Amino acid sequence: MDFELSEDQQQILKSVKDLLGQHAGPTRNIELQPNAAYDTELHDALEENGYTEIARMDEMGPLEAALIAEEVAYAAGVVAFAESALVATGVSDEEIEGPISLATVADSGKPIRYACTAKTLLILDGDEARVLSLKDGDIEKVESNFGYPMGRYKGELKGAGKSLGAGSGDKLRNWWRVALAVETVGCMRAALWHVVGYLSERRQFGVAIGSFQAVQHKLADNAVTIHGARWLALEAAFKGAQKDQAAVAAAFALETAGTAFTDFHQLAGAIGFTREHNLHVWTMRLMALRVELGGVHSHRRAIAEARWEVQ
Amino acid sequence: MEFDWSVEDAAYRKEFVDFLGEILPENWDEISKHGPGSDLQAEFSKKFCGKMADKGWLTQHWPAEYGGKDAGAWRHAVVGEECWAIGEPRGSQYMNVNWVGPAVMQYGTDEQKKLHLPAIASGNIFWCQGFSEPEAGSDLVSLRTLAIPDGDDYVINGTKIWTSYVQHANYCFLLARTDPDSKRHTGISVFLVPMETPGIEVREIPSVVGARYFHEVFFTDVRVPKGCMLGEVNAGWEVVNFALQYERVGAARYARAALTLDHLAKVAKETGLMDDPIVVDKLAQARCICEAARMLTYRVIDTRAKDAKPTTDTQLARIAGTRTDRAIGELAVEILGPDALEYGSFADANFRLAMTAGVAVGATEVQLNLVARRFLELPKK
Repeated sequence: MDFELSEDQQQILKSVKDLLGQHAGPTRNIELQPNAAYDTELHDALEENGYTEIARMDEMGPLEAALIAEEVAYAAGVVAFAESALVATGVSDEEIEGPISLATVADSGKPIRYACTAKTLLILDGDEARVLSLKDGDIEKVESNFGYPMGRYKGELKGAGKSLGAGSGDKLRNWWRVALAVETVGCMRAALWHVVGYLSERRQFGVAIGSFQAVQHKLADNAVTIHGARWLALEAAFKGAQKDQAAVAAAFALETAGTAFTDFHQLAGAIGFTREHNLHVWTMRLMALRVELGGVHSHRRAIAEARWEVQ
Repeated sequence: MEFDWSVEDAAYRKEFVDFLGEILPENWDEISKHGPGSDLQAEFSKKFCGKMADKGWLTQHWPAEYGGKDAGAWRHAVVGEECWAIGEPRGSQYMNVNWVGPAVMQYGTDEQKKLHLPAIASGNIFWCQGFSEPEAGSDLVSLRTLAIPDGDDYVINGTKIWTSYVQHANYCFLLARTDPDSKRHTGISVFLVPMETPGIEVREIPSVVGARYFHEVFFTDVRVPKGCMLGEVNAGWEVVNFALQYERVGAARYARAALTLDHLAKVAKETGLMDDPIVVDKLAQARCICEAARMLTYRVIDTRAKDAKPTTDTQLARIAGTRTDRAIGELAVEILGPDALEYGSFADANFRLAMTAGVAVGATEVQLNLVARRFLELPKK
């Protein structure tokens, strides 16, 4: 057990942060938003440096992929990194062409995160995962306020694509949950420090708003849950997305996300709702993550199935 | 970064669980529901800790020079988890090995080390802590108990309150003001006071938490030799901070909470309550709270294992830990229904344990203040 980064991990994260410093960040995110555009430049840079496949490398694994995915989310990168680096590597031994978008068969006709910019849909269909290479015209863009490019698959997702075999559905479910947890944690941590910075400077009643105890306790409370969520997400990745741990990580991160969204916007006041202030870059994403894969209640159901054999 | 138990610690856990299976009596559940401070559990803890001591396990995490085995903080965590999960057969002695001993190692004189460390390691001795006072609760630095030098002694006068485990205690880890003109955290010293010293009077404060849970301890002209002082004179605040860093995550409450939750899930399945998706949702939500507390606590243990300086991770873990007790205590009453209303029942015992969670060892609000100021570095004005 070691909660500190190894030298290798430190080196990797330093390089990733340098790369994100050049290619990502809230300003870049906002620049891409009006056209629901994908950050191809960032995607390629992550791929060229081998980060997308890091989980398959010797001496590396899904924990390293999760640590990078968290940084990408922290930097508000508009790339489906966790989908390739954590989920695809966890579900299939073969490389799956990215950008990848994740969907369940229940998402037929519904907005799907990154679908409008993806080359491949990884579909959860009962106990199978299916891979569908997208063709021009398969997806229509969906206008969304929730921080990610969204698209709708025009056909029926049930039975679409090539099956990865029986049992692949559970792998997809579990790794998807880990990816959700990691992405959520990255967004929440960025939003927390953003709000802390703003409230340390913004003055009302002659003092910084962040000096009021009512404000401090809310932020401190969020710091506790967000950091708890972070360790759960990283542990779940490290342990290979076991059902109980993956579901716990997703359920706790996404429950926390709901509170964080409400508290951060409440504390930031009206400016937090504007596009000139960066908070929305992370918070609106949290709500998109909360509805995926059946949402918090479905993750909790999975906990009960795994831990207490509830049918 | 990696999250696996070492092969040795994983193997030890198995050995220790087997040991618990052999040594705990059939009526252990009956004994443990009364709590670590109860007469029954204190009596049992002497036998239990003695057997642990015989195996060299009670203080195995201590350095070899103090009779330990240098087994490290993670090994100590294994013992803590397994003991708390089943209701803490070490009774209040978990405090001794967790922070009283280490504080003596860190600040004690050779004489104090010789007196206290072997006694603690033998598993046959009890300590209580004399921190809070009637006028110094969350604001501990307002304490007024005075210790005035007189020849080779100090004479102590004052009142301590909310003290647990006192009825069996051989020693009190006492905070007193040694500079009457001092304010706040300056001018405080720590004394290791034998409870048999004349002038100490104990009064139980009846409470809804349980019998013999809270006490007031009155010190009237209590005369102790100067050699009872731990650390430098007027430098006790550093000592108590050292001790509290250990105490705040000393009890593996998440481990007990997780086991209690599994029991509640079993009951919910048997009674059909689990058919209600809201019950499923609540149980799973509580499991998440326990797991988050476990990982935040592990974060602190990792710091301790590396002998690194404690950080505000301790506060994060403490706050999360109290949330587990609250969540499980309330859920126990909800799942068990009217059965919870009987004193000593499973749900009643858990609920009573949960009641004090956010108050003991520093109120949650004080912990939140520390997180806000030291971790988030929010401004004072």
